[in-house]
Amino acid sequence: MKRHLMGVIAAGLTVTLGMTGCSKGSSSGGGGDSKTIKFVAAIYDDKTKSLWDSLIKTFEAQNKGYKVNLEMVDWTQMDAKVKTYVQTKQTPDILNYNAFADFARDGLLFPTSDVLSSQASSDILPSFIDGDKYKGTPYGMPLLSSVRLFFYNKDVFKKAGISTPPKTWDDVQADAQKIKTKVKGVFPLGLPLGAEESQAEFFMWAMNNGGGYVDQSGNWALDSQANVDTMNYLKGLSKGGLTQPNPETTDRKDAFNEFAQGKIGMLNGAVFMPAGFINKVNPKLPFGIAQLPTKTGGTPSTLGVQDFLVAFKNDGGKKKDAVSKFLNFFYQTNNVANFQKEEGFLPVTKSAGDVIASAVPYDKPFIDALPNAKFYPTGNAAWGPLANTVKEKLGTAITASDPKSVLTQLQQTAQKNG
Amino acid sequence: MQNTIEARGAGATAPAPPSRASALRRLGRALAPLPWIGPAVILIAAVVLWPVIEMARTSLMRISSSGATIGTRGTGNYHDLFDEPDLVSVLLRTVVWVVGVVLVTIVVSLALGQLLNARFPGRRVVRWAVIVPWAASVLMTALTWKWMLNYYYGVVNKILQGVGVIDHPVNWLSNPTQALIWMMWVAVFVSLPFSSFVILAGLQTIPQDVYEAATVDGAGRARTYFRITLPLLRPSLLVAAIINVINVFNSFPIIYAMTGGGPGDKTDTSTTFMYKLAFSGSGDVGESAAMAVVNFALILILVLAYLRVVGWRGETQR
Amino acid sequence: MNSRSKPRVAILAGVGYLVAFVFVAPYLEMALTALKPDRELTRSPTTFLPKHWEFGNFVNVWKAAPIWQNMQVSLIVAGVATLIALVVSLPAAYYTARNRFRGRGAFLLLVLVTQMFAPTALVIGIYREMVALNLTDTLLALILVNAAFNLPFCVWILHGYFSSIPKELEEAAYLDGAGKVTALTRVTLPLSLPGLVTAVIYTFIGAWNEYVVALTITSSPDRQPLTVAIPGFVTSYQAHWQFLFATSLIAIVPVVVLFVFIERYLIGGLTAGGVK
Repeated sequence: MKRHLMGVIAAGLTVTLGMTGCSKGSSSGGGGDSKTIKFVAAIYDDKTKSLWDSLIKTFEAQNKGYKVNLEMVDWTQMDAKVKTYVQTKQTPDILNYNAFADFARDGLLFPTSDVLSSQASSDILPSFIDGDKYKGTPYGMPLLSSVRLFFYNKDVFKKAGISTPPKTWDDVQADAQKIKTKVKGVFPLGLPLGAEESQAEFFMWAMNNGGGYVDQSGNWALDSQANVDTMNYLKGLSKGGLTQPNPETTDRKDAFNEFAQGKIGMLNGAVFMPAGFINKVNPKLPFGIAQLPTKTGGTPSTLGVQDFLVAFKNDGGKKKDAVSKFLNFFYQTNNVANFQKEEGFLPVTKSAGDVIASAVPYDKPFIDALPNAKFYPTGNAAWGPLANTVKEKLGTAITASDPKSVLTQLQQTAQKNG
Repeated sequence: MQNTIEARGAGATAPAPPSRASALRRLGRALAPLPWIGPAVILIAAVVLWPVIEMARTSLMRISSSGATIGTRGTGNYHDLFDEPDLVSVLLRTVVWVVGVVLVTIVVSLALGQLLNARFPGRRVVRWAVIVPWAASVLMTALTWKWMLNYYYGVVNKILQGVGVIDHPVNWLSNPTQALIWMMWVAVFVSLPFSSFVILAGLQTIPQDVYEAATVDGAGRARTYFRITLPLLRPSLLVAAIINVINVFNSFPIIYAMTGGGPGDKTDTSTTFMYKLAFSGSGDVGESAAMAVVNFALILILVLAYLRVVGWRGETQR
Repeated sequence: MNSRSKPRVAILAGVGYLVAFVFVAPYLEMALTALKPDRELTRSPTTFLPKHWEFGNFVNVWKAAPIWQNMQVSLIVAGVATLIALVVSLPAAYYTARNRFRGRGAFLLLVLVTQMFAPTALVIGIYREMVALNLTDTLLALILVNAAFNLPFCVWILHGYFSSIPKELEEAAYLDGAGKVTALTRVTLPLSLPGLVTAVIYTFIGAWNEYVVALTITSSPDRQPLTVAIPGFVTSYQAHWQFLFATSLIAIVPVVVLFVFIERYLIGGLTAGGVK
């Protein structure tokens, strides 16, 4: 009887363990043959997965024997996931991410020249190339880009008696005041400084005041006077009730959504705003697009963002050939152009730029803004960790009695990381 | 529970083996429990104790922001951790969080247990309703509350405006103090089912004749409760409180889902703070491991202190 | 207790129903949100009831994400972890309740102390261990973690329950010629049913709800439990709260039904752990 019972238990355990044990399939980065690669892509919207699925299907049909295992990760989980991949040595062969320099520093990546044909890499738009390099060598391949411009609600502006979009910070403040007094139920300025993307919102205001993350010579300058002034200005707007409540916890998606519903008068918008937000809830929203306002009315610049593809050197690089094949396939003009067009983002290659500029007139002002766009210091290995810290902490400068203290703390984080 | 301590005594006074017994037989007797308790010991050692050691080891290593291990670092991670300007406030908040949530949970559970034990039509349905937050995943419950508290689209603002408590919407989860209070309420909400059922179970073991004796003595309702019911509930309270302390201290999904510890780390407890040190923020796994070790020491102190306060020994050495 | 007057019962019932509503209300809101179409979700101010009842959400959610796979993962992990915890804790609890032996005290102390450890606090260690064992991104890792961390509670509660059952009952069975194991399975186990049910439920719910470890050590979508998968409905670029809540309900309802069936045992089971 005893033997019998133990036998049953043992059998049960064996079955269950065997069942679950073998479910560790071939998709882990380390295993598998050299023609099977794992690709981790970020979810931009509902269409992203099907776009990659169809690209991969075509690729696998054109390259017999090669296989791409796609895994989609949404942006909210991405940072944690990526860290886990590296820590657990499960790095995918290709990763779609927004930073790469610390991987390059730790020797985890193929340089672009190892995996991308010179024809494809020379097609990359010059604006992006600096941000693709770590210590002079390109490691990141731009996947798509976005440029931010100033969005305003024409109806709201009309009701408030504003004829032209604001050009200076004083204009912004004055116009916001007009909206506040004349248009009920509308927040004058959308200011998302919540953890989702405060590093972007801050940068857009700071750069138009001569501030930013680094100084002329490329050293960290988060606590510069220009940045401190910027935060004081934004804090003042918020205190004066000219923004939506609690900028420090407002995520970008909530601000964009409120703008789409006509409840925010103006804000720093993005190229994907109509496709991602407005068309869904309020396709008739009368919005206008302008350059970002600057402190004193100088030449406006704006934020350009590129997301990257990076190729990890797994298993001593035995998958280099497969990785290279897939990347060269993706960077063919039509593939890359179609992907960026469908996702509502901007092109990163010259040839795709020509295709999109003629196909999507809405994109033109954004493409025109690209030469004046400033990018994050993605080539600095400290940027990845710093960006995460900025996202979380920067908003608190709005409620802090002294915004400078927050910036000083961030400066220390930046210097600590190198 | 009393068995554990009683057992310690039993182990010490194990009967001496007869002197004639061969070494082999003694060995046989020593090994006899192994088939019974061996698997449990192995599982605990391999999956619970190993990570404890691994964690301590990691806290002494230098780990790059990309996640690659670079080498040993001595106590550097601890220095970094103690240099975190927000560490003290995070730790204080953790104490408020644990003490607040557990206290309120226990007090409300006492009342709920009494209610669920009273007789009225539909009692079963009420019991089922009280179980629901236990059956639902904590994460899902936290997400619902986050949604209900949403500044723009949440029903909490709508209801409170409707009944006139507030005259315009409040961004509940943005103000750190308000957010913390709401999250503590959610923590209480998900802890209540287990605690009130433990107390209900305790109430049902109290023999009816104890109450009858009290009535004969002419004791009032309140007096009966404090002099008889509460002392008899002590073991159940002990279980409920200790399990709650552990669960609440380690509670992660509520804060992580509702505010992510933000703005900044103004609503973090040491548990979410630890996670954020490793997986967001500056992404330092070594420093996070150091925080985990500190956490670990904290919970040991907390539980030992608790056991002392409630007089665990007196309770168990009866 | 004996003054069970009518008004008193009415007040009790009233309070009871109010309490019941408070406990169910968040899940009601969950259901109402799950039935709203996309465009109604972000309407401010919000409405209590959907203007258009979008029952299709419960159909479309299966297409929007691989939630069936996630649900299978949750079920396998919780089910197998519960089985292991039970199979491992039963003999240990029974033996320690019935026998005095060298090391018994040490074993029970180990159980008591490890009960205070939660996977959340040890997640860094767990994840580095799983790296070392090459078990990251496997269900086996999740199963082992959930089984092991719930094991102490199972041992504790079963130990308490077995101790409360008089040895004499088993001895009577021996007289009838039953062996040790038969006595256990025929006499003691049936009497311990509430304890068993409680141990099973506690472990199952613990594993079903587990979030941090799964978030940390799994990365493939088809190996993630529901808890890790559902927050993915709300991201920077889109917010499908209706799907998030539809999935949550699909996951919650069966467990609630399960609880309803075993509520009686549960009360009995929770008694044994603390009171004897």
